[in-house]
Amino acid sequence: MHSNFFAGLAACAVSLTMTVSSALAGTITVTDTLDRTVEVPDDANRILLGFYFEDFYAIGGVDAYDKVVAISRPAWEGWRNSQWKAYVAVNPELESLVDIGEVDAGTFAIEVAIASKPDVAILAAWQYRALGDVVGKLEAAGIPVVVADYNAQTVEKHVASTLLIGEIVGQKDRAKELADSYAAAVADVEARIAKASGDKPVVYVELGNKGADEYGNSYGNGMWGGVIELAGGTNIAAGKVENWGPLNPEYVIASNPDAVFLAGSDWVSKPKAVLMGFGVDAEVTRGRMQPYMKRAGWAGMKAVQNGQVHAVYHGGARTLYDFAFLQYIAKVLYPEAFADVDPMANLMAHYAKYMPISPEGTFMIKLAD
Amino acid sequence: MTMTTHGAPTRLSFATRRFMWLGASTGLLGLAILADILIGPAFLNVFDVLGALVNPSGASDPMVVTIVHAIRLPMTLMALIVGASLGVAGVQMQTILGNPLASPYTLGFSAAAGFGAALTILFGLQLPLIPQMTVPVAAFAAASMACLMVYGLAHIRGVTAEVMVLAGIATLFLFQSLQSLVQYLAAPEVLQEIVFWLFGSMLKATWFSVWISGTVLLVCLALLIPDMWKLTALRLGDERAASLGVNVPRLRRRVFFIVSLLTAGAVAFVGTIGFVGLVAPHLARMLVGEDQRILIPASAVFGGLLMVGASIASKLLSPGAVVPVGIVTALVGVPFLFALILTGKRRHW
Repeated sequence: MHSNFFAGLAACAVSLTMTVSSALAGTITVTDTLDRTVEVPDDANRILLGFYFEDFYAIGGVDAYDKVVAISRPAWEGWRNSQWKAYVAVNPELESLVDIGEVDAGTFAIEVAIASKPDVAILAAWQYRALGDVVGKLEAAGIPVVVADYNAQTVEKHVASTLLIGEIVGQKDRAKELADSYAAAVADVEARIAKASGDKPVVYVELGNKGADEYGNSYGNGMWGGVIELAGGTNIAAGKVENWGPLNPEYVIASNPDAVFLAGSDWVSKPKAVLMGFGVDAEVTRGRMQPYMKRAGWAGMKAVQNGQVHAVYHGGARTLYDFAFLQYIAKVLYPEAFADVDPMANLMAHYAKYMPISPEGTFMIKLAD
Repeated sequence: MTMTTHGAPTRLSFATRRFMWLGASTGLLGLAILADILIGPAFLNVFDVLGALVNPSGASDPMVVTIVHAIRLPMTLMALIVGASLGVAGVQMQTILGNPLASPYTLGFSAAAGFGAALTILFGLQLPLIPQMTVPVAAFAAASMACLMVYGLAHIRGVTAEVMVLAGIATLFLFQSLQSLVQYLAAPEVLQEIVFWLFGSMLKATWFSVWISGTVLLVCLALLIPDMWKLTALRLGDERAASLGVNVPRLRRRVFFIVSLLTAGAVAFVGTIGFVGLVAPHLARMLVGEDQRILIPASAVFGGLLMVGASIASKLLSPGAVVPVGIVTALVGVPFLFALILTGKRRHW
């Protein structure tokens, strides 16, 4: 009887203290980009970050990573190597963050993730989908999971993701400012294109990871396909490949594009790939672009004859600053409508205002200036 | 020739029928080749294409000449060569192993080639002087390694069909898991590149690859000609072939090397294209029988027909994009094979 009574009392006490402590810490309710409502601590300072490392910096400010305990390091160091090095140079602490592995490669380590004791996990939508049931295990371990999505490449999801991260890191005003300026920049591009006259230029975009010998992937709907559509171009890959895939060389030639964009990146050990990014010299990039001009049938292409062959940084899509790449592509297609817009300067301004580093390197260039 | 003159009247008509089948399928192959050159996402005028084909310097539009000569012709010819190589390799594999399920891929050559290619793609390796040849050379080298492994085991345990099939299947699984390991280690964009190579695609065809693979095919065909009678005899079984004076282990070894050369020559440039090597020989055997003098050319013709047909189908399926032809070959070939199984009257194995 007595023991039962004390057990009950103890249980009451425990639940009471738990309520008190959670009331003390406080939680807020957020809605993520998948329309999930999640309770997260209102002063989260042990964050697990799956992706969108630069956007997290932009929203959280210079000290953003003080609140981070674990990241999916391969998704940063492995995929955008020069970018990672540039950030580590200003913030060596990044090196000491717990690495939870990479979701796509199947190396995500749930035990490491839980052991790093995060109070909230911010994942990309593609990571959330790929993890499947594992998300439930994180939640069962008391780690709320919220989902951001810049990959969707829509203004709506960009804004929602930015405001979401802003709420979690306690930077609501800064997030609002970023989201508003992003939406305004895209709206401005759309307004200028709506006013511009002339036919929609025909555009071909190719991922430059294979070199000129073989046709690389082009983008149908998402990614660069979406950016080209927004920039007022006719994407020749639209309706031909669903997400990505190479086009038939003769189709590319016969489509006679007005402009060609090669998407470059900082791939390691790819001696023929179009190399771009932090710390890459523009002449290196141009040297890698040159062989593409020698492809069969390219000499007669409008884009080549008019010198409209460009390279854009592949890491530029799916970010808060991708509006600058949108501006760049739109300016190539409608030079008069964007005469007073300097996309590279806008990119520099974004970095200067929100980021701890400046974009030194090659991010958007024309083959021949 | 000897067979037809010695045979009964029915035998004679059967022989004629076989030659008619070979002639008809060769004619069909010719039409398919022409169609493949005429069809493309640029929707060029038929007469422009024919003009550019026959007289490139006289054509009015240089774009048409470029498309026909630099893009369509290498892809069509490569499809033909790869199909013919795999067809011949397949029929010889089935002959020397006495197994209807054997194909150039049974012994792990293609898995090894895929592993070699994946490895160079993963590490971004480059050969000095000939960087564009890195992946084909690596694929070829790995395939040769698989060939030596199987051969080495067979050499120790005796060159019988059973030992070779077992050693081959072990090699196949070994290289498949190595291939998976490389894929597991690769970053997403690199992985995509590897997977695309493994699908097999005519996008990689160039005049250079046409020359190399074409030469390999012709040399291998020339090497097979002296053994045609012995190979026909081998289908009766090891003992009977031996009693007819065939040195079975020697024949098996020799043909095994020819098959590995043919397979490596075919897949090194365009990636692993399966199925053709299994099905083309069966189609040929159903229609023309076991006589190697006619079975070899028929297998080559059916292999070529399957590949060129797949190339046409892949262009019609999604004009503009390039559906990897390796995926399409099975989609095109399986209904064909089913039809033959259902309508065939003779036992063909």
